[in-house]
Amino acid sequence: MTQQILLAICSFAMALVGTLLLSALSLVVARSGSRSRTYRYEIEARALTLLKEWLSPRQRTSYERYRYFDVVGSDTGTRYRIHHGTQTNIEELSGTGQHVCKWCFVPDGDLVAGDVMLAQKIALETNERGALSVAHRSFVAMGPRRF
Amino acid sequence: MATQIVMDRTGDTRHTFDAQDHAELEKAERRFKELTGAGFTAAVRSGPGEQRVIRAFDPAAEETLFYPRLVGG
Repeated sequence: MTQQILLAICSFAMALVGTLLLSALSLVVARSGSRSRTYRYEIEARALTLLKEWLSPRQRTSYERYRYFDVVGSDTGTRYRIHHGTQTNIEELSGTGQHVCKWCFVPDGDLVAGDVMLAQKIALETNERGALSVAHRSFVAMGPRRF
Repeated sequence: MATQIVMDRTGDTRHTFDAQDHAELEKAERRFKELTGAGFTAAVRSGPGEQRVIRAFDPAAEETLFYPRLVGG
């Protein structure tokens, strides 16, 4: 009888310790995730600040209002629209402002949107042919575009 | 103070240096050569929203931005 009581107490104690350990672990994981999200947000905010510093007033206004801005290719004079994003976010426009196709090139490495868009802007405005020579081009049906 | 801004996973890393200091200027030039040698493109602002790509270290540049080699996405 005494052994059974001891066994019950031990089982209860072990379950209690297990629960406490699991709770502590969950708390650590949750805090770590939150810190990681905050860190990512800070990186993205810093990159967007840098981007805005390098945009022309017109480009900055457009980006802040529509989350895209236009650049003119240095070699052909073609107009491109750089949308907020890190992939397939460049739209080539015709002389009448119609969608022609999408281009995708990015700086190597896992960079955030602000940095990617700034590199794309500088590349198209200073070395359009060089940038497009490494880019992937895609033709999509007209209609709502998602970037 | 002049600044070299290098895009990386942390957003960017900034290196400031005194362009009047010979040792610091040499260090900045070495960094320029290392980065461009590794495929980074260096650009300086030439006006509001305008920039030019530089192939050689410009000791007079107040701010030089480096971005990694471009690849198809």
